[in-house]
Amino acid sequence: MPILTDDVVLLEDVTKSFDTAGAPVLALDRLTVGLRRGEFTAVMGPSGSGKSTLMNVAAGLDEPTSGRVYLAGRPITGLSDDQLTALRRTSIGFVFQAFNLVPTLTAIENVLLPFQLAGRRLNFEDRAWIDHLVTALGLGARIDHRPAALSGGQQQRVAIVRALASRPQVVFADEPTGNLDSRTSREVLALLRTAVAEYGQSVVMVTHDPVAASYADRVVLVVDGRLAGDHGRCSAQEISTLLVDLEARA
Amino acid sequence: MRAPSQIPPRLVLGSWRELGTVGVVAALASAYAAVLIMVAAVAGRLSDADDGALGVMLGVVATVFILIALYVSGVVMTNAVATVLAGRVRALALLRLLGADARRLRTQIVRQAGMVALVGAVSGTVLGVVAVLVGRVIMVAHGTIPGGSYPLVSSWLLPSIGAVVAVTAVAAADGSRSVLTVSPADALRGPQPSRDAVRRLTRRRVGVAGFLVVTGILVLGMAVEAGSDGSAAGFLLAFVGGAVCTTGILVGAQLFLPACVAAVGRLLGHGPATVIARRNAVKDPKRTTRSTIGLAVGVGLVVTFASGLDALRRQVLEQDDLTARQRALSIQIFNLTEVVLVAIVVVSAVIAAVGFASTLSLTVLQRTREIGLLRVLGLTRRQIRGMITREAVAMSAAAILLGAVVGIGYGSAAAASLVGAVGSGFALGVPRFVLVLVAVAGVVLVIVSAHAPARRAVAVTPVEALRFE
Repeated sequence: MPILTDDVVLLEDVTKSFDTAGAPVLALDRLTVGLRRGEFTAVMGPSGSGKSTLMNVAAGLDEPTSGRVYLAGRPITGLSDDQLTALRRTSIGFVFQAFNLVPTLTAIENVLLPFQLAGRRLNFEDRAWIDHLVTALGLGARIDHRPAALSGGQQQRVAIVRALASRPQVVFADEPTGNLDSRTSREVLALLRTAVAEYGQSVVMVTHDPVAASYADRVVLVVDGRLAGDHGRCSAQEISTLLVDLEARA
Repeated sequence: MRAPSQIPPRLVLGSWRELGTVGVVAALASAYAAVLIMVAAVAGRLSDADDGALGVMLGVVATVFILIALYVSGVVMTNAVATVLAGRVRALALLRLLGADARRLRTQIVRQAGMVALVGAVSGTVLGVVAVLVGRVIMVAHGTIPGGSYPLVSSWLLPSIGAVVAVTAVAAADGSRSVLTVSPADALRGPQPSRDAVRRLTRRRVGVAGFLVVTGILVLGMAVEAGSDGSAAGFLLAFVGGAVCTTGILVGAQLFLPACVAAVGRLLGHGPATVIARRNAVKDPKRTTRSTIGLAVGVGLVVTFASGLDALRRQVLEQDDLTARQRALSIQIFNLTEVVLVAIVVVSAVIAAVGFASTLSLTVLQRTREIGLLRVLGLTRRQIRGMITREAVAMSAAAILLGAVVGIGYGSAAAASLVGAVGSGFALGVPRFVLVLVAVAGVVLVIVSAHAPARRAVAVTPVEALRFE
């Protein structure tokens, strides 16, 4: 049963514990948070805070120990591996820090892979949309190259085109600028910003970089698997202060 | 204080387990050699009555087959070492960055592989000797052979162990050539061979390989001609022609085998998982060639012998002046010879199969992150398993086809060079039973070799796989 909500992703009372060498580690501790549709949300926290686990659980890559996760109002907890896989093809886009592209496929083949996996024929609109993205991101000439022939920034842009191409419910970006120089970082962040502002795409970005988070509409802070702050748009300076305060309190 | 001359082995080649293939192949080859040597020794004692001629002949035959097995083992082990190293470019580059020189790294690799091979060879030899001992005791008990004192060991066992270790050392040195090209800068990015050098090398390779293959086929043709004239030189010519042509095929393999693999892959469909499987099968043409050529040689050997015997049988049975009894007797002799010969050469094919399976397993392991990414993007577990299986199918089918075609050619030519004068000159030897056997073995090989890596690949969650280094 879908539930009525503005949240594209909703975590309800979610706990996730890992059993490492006999000592259970609580990565998420009864966390409840909703991530709104059409917004650019940054999830922040010190390393080991549980922000990556939050993303993995929200994206159906990892099963929560307890609690419920909803994607676009539909519960995804308890879905089978195949159902989750099918969900990822159609409803979720991913951008990782590195190693985003399948090395044996060209850039355009990488972009089209989720469509092929979902058995979806490209209609006129899809084609126009992908063409637009490719041109807008300045990838036109490189589109038939293998990832090895692309620079880090170009690879990251191809990954963003792929994530946006199928107009998924939500795009998850895990430290998308972690491996880029500051100029390329700014380009990539501006791109995600544009996807939200112009195309109404929901984007969730996990990051520890205050500059990256300053591009977001909302900054969610996680510490020890719990919500430690929820702010609107902030400057990089303000976010740095928030993080330093968190560290001081710990 | 003196600086240690050795780099800790773990840093160079990872865990000893990564050299498992080298150990298994060394053990298999040594066990095989030990069995042949001891059987020849036992048979030699039996034939002492007829002044030992049988023993000498068996010794020569055993040596030839051991050399063939050693050759296949060498190809397989070169590939095994190269595959392990390909997955460790970054670790090696880091060692270079910290001051290890390339030559010392290579010496270390050769030493480590040699040690693993020594352990494998000694265990294999012991196994082989025990197997012959048990077999002999049983045969004496059954009265198949007379009792008495038989040799327990042979002085040839030591050179056999030495040969296996030496082949391993050469294979490790050859397989680790890539280490020389790893620059410390590769610690930060993957190495890219310069295009020009590759192209220049390719052109020369085409020339050499083409020349050898054409010459080999011409000599084989001359052998058939000589055979139909009843000349005794025919068989020798056939041997030389086959050897030259095979060398040409081996030299040129990396020019056409990857294309064969890709062609077979194209027959498997056009889904995204199939496309990725096909591209992976030929991503590194050298690696593809090495892991398939061993299999092609193994299959080629089996088919050559079977096809030769089949062609001989056809030509002999074509003669009209045979009595029914002679006919039945020749069929019986041919069948027995076929079983024995195929049983002896099949070991080389088994060694090649072990190499094939281990290469597949390692290359899948090296692609853990890629598989994690594919799972995240929407490949189901079934599709991942199917992808790995298709990769194995494309590679093994291409190798088996090549081996079978070449084997039928050699076998038929050799038979014609022997008895062309008595029969119709040339008969194509198509050993149906052995070909079916090879095809079935190929299917089993694909299932067995793809099963474990496929299961391991889908056992890790995508999140774990993406974090894999």
